[in-house]
Amino acid sequence: MGKSKGLLLLLGLGAACLLSLAAGPAGLSPEIILNLRLPRTLAALAVGAGLGLAGALFQGALKNPLSDPYILGTSAGATAAAVFCFLAGIERSSPVFFAAVFAGAFGATFLSYWLARLAGRLSDAALVLAGVAVSAFLSALVMLVLSAARERAFSLFNFVLGGLYAAEPGVLLFSAAVIAAAGTLAALRWRALDAMSLGEEKAYHLGADPGRERLIFFALACAATSAAVAVGGTIGFVGLMTPHIIRLISGPSARTLIPASAIGGAALLACADAAGRLLFPPAEVPAGVIMALAGAPFFMWLLWKNSRGRA
Amino acid sequence: MPSLKVTGLTFSYGAQPLLREVAFELRPGDFMCVLGPNGSGKSTLLKLLTGFMKPAAGQVLLGGADTAGMDARRLAGLAAYVPSETTTPYDFSVRELVLLGRTARAGFWRGYSRQDEEAADRALAETGIAALAGRAVNSLSTGERQLAFIAQALAQEAKVLLLDEPTSHLDLKYKASVMALLAGLAARRLAVAAVLHEPALARPGCNKALLLGHGGEFSFGPAAQTLTRESLARLYGLPPSSPLLP
Repeated sequence: MGKSKGLLLLLGLGAACLLSLAAGPAGLSPEIILNLRLPRTLAALAVGAGLGLAGALFQGALKNPLSDPYILGTSAGATAAAVFCFLAGIERSSPVFFAAVFAGAFGATFLSYWLARLAGRLSDAALVLAGVAVSAFLSALVMLVLSAARERAFSLFNFVLGGLYAAEPGVLLFSAAVIAAAGTLAALRWRALDAMSLGEEKAYHLGADPGRERLIFFALACAATSAAVAVGGTIGFVGLMTPHIIRLISGPSARTLIPASAIGGAALLACADAAGRLLFPPAEVPAGVIMALAGAPFFMWLLWKNSRGRA
Repeated sequence: MPSLKVTGLTFSYGAQPLLREVAFELRPGDFMCVLGPNGSGKSTLLKLLTGFMKPAAGQVLLGGADTAGMDARRLAGLAAYVPSETTTPYDFSVRELVLLGRTARAGFWRGYSRQDEEAADRALAETGIAALAGRAVNSLSTGERQLAFIAQALAQEAKVLLLDEPTSHLDLKYKASVMALLAGLAARRLAVAAVLHEPALARPGCNKALLLGHGGEFSFGPAAQTLTRESLARLYGLPPSSPLLP
């Protein structure tokens, strides 16, 4: 990535931050900006960075441009684990919560992968179908639990819908640290991710052990997704869209793709959250809904492009 | 010392043996074609040679070292492999793709060194695609893309080069130029083995031939003695008078 493209990306991030700090029905009072919008903007940045990063890692490790934590069921696994933790009385600040959410994300991802692999050769379509099946089942499980536990359903419903409300500073800080660590470790292995994006067989013959690399990148992507879900619930399509946009700007190499997808995801989600505050004031549209509105057509476009041979 | 020595290589999918005690050896400068009907185990053989698949029995020595249990990184330094299907959904430039051939030699985290860049330049020049270095891989023709993946394999600087159907989907001009390229690589002391579908292609360049039949039979020897009309007719189940045989 040239200096000018890096600068462009950082300018975009800065603009997204300013928009997120300024947007809202209550105007520009310093108190509101500092106490309400700043924490919320920071939450959007952390969650967006985690999801953008996870998307870049999944798309590379699976050689599949249609994958992201939402489509593979990673987010659904993390959300289901989080909801069960809430109902069991385990709060977000507890380390057990994070361990459980990570286990949920990792388990759901490997279940999708394993199901897609059952057919023999791993195809793009099989992976998407398996992810949809795993996501649908886990979401149904969450809805079942929410219907049964009515007294807590409202606050949990907001979480499941995906939105950035009042994030506890401790949780936000921990999540940001997890995402930064996962991003750093992934960035150090950029060459292995590039090898994997040529397919398992080619990666092996270039000298990267595909089984090991898949495990490493899945673990890093699941850690980033879990950290994002712990703060913002289920927000889809950030991980899908960001790497595609970044590749158009600075090319496919993971050396730039990994850091740039984290920055781009942060900017994208901050914009989506700001847009949610601006659309129907004084009502707020959750960032997850905005992302789905933008992301679902994007996904259809990718499917169409992929069916024509390349994406 | 042989570049590649194979003894007793045995493999089966299920009960039916695919390869039975296959044995051959290649020295620097050898160019071997692997011929046989569909399903006779040609592609499987290549993957057994690189350790991507594990044989039921037998031994593969690369540069004298037993490949059993060898890690992918070390293997990639000893043998390079060009798969038959070479696609990627992402628009790497030809130069980026060729540089990825340095994966096993460069540290995972740092950038490419001067030697890596020079190896990529040599590989691009040798395959005659230096002018395409800045192009996106997915914008190339099938023949150009095949050359780009061969260049990537050359950048690995391994002594053994294995290719799975390097000439399929290519027009006659590209088939001829790929075969000439491979013969040239053998002439500079690489050991080259390529799975081919047309015996006629093997005639000009190959000095060794490995024929794989059904049920695990094989024959190996100098190309001139092995690629006879009779043996090829038997191999493909054609009458010896068939005009398709060379």
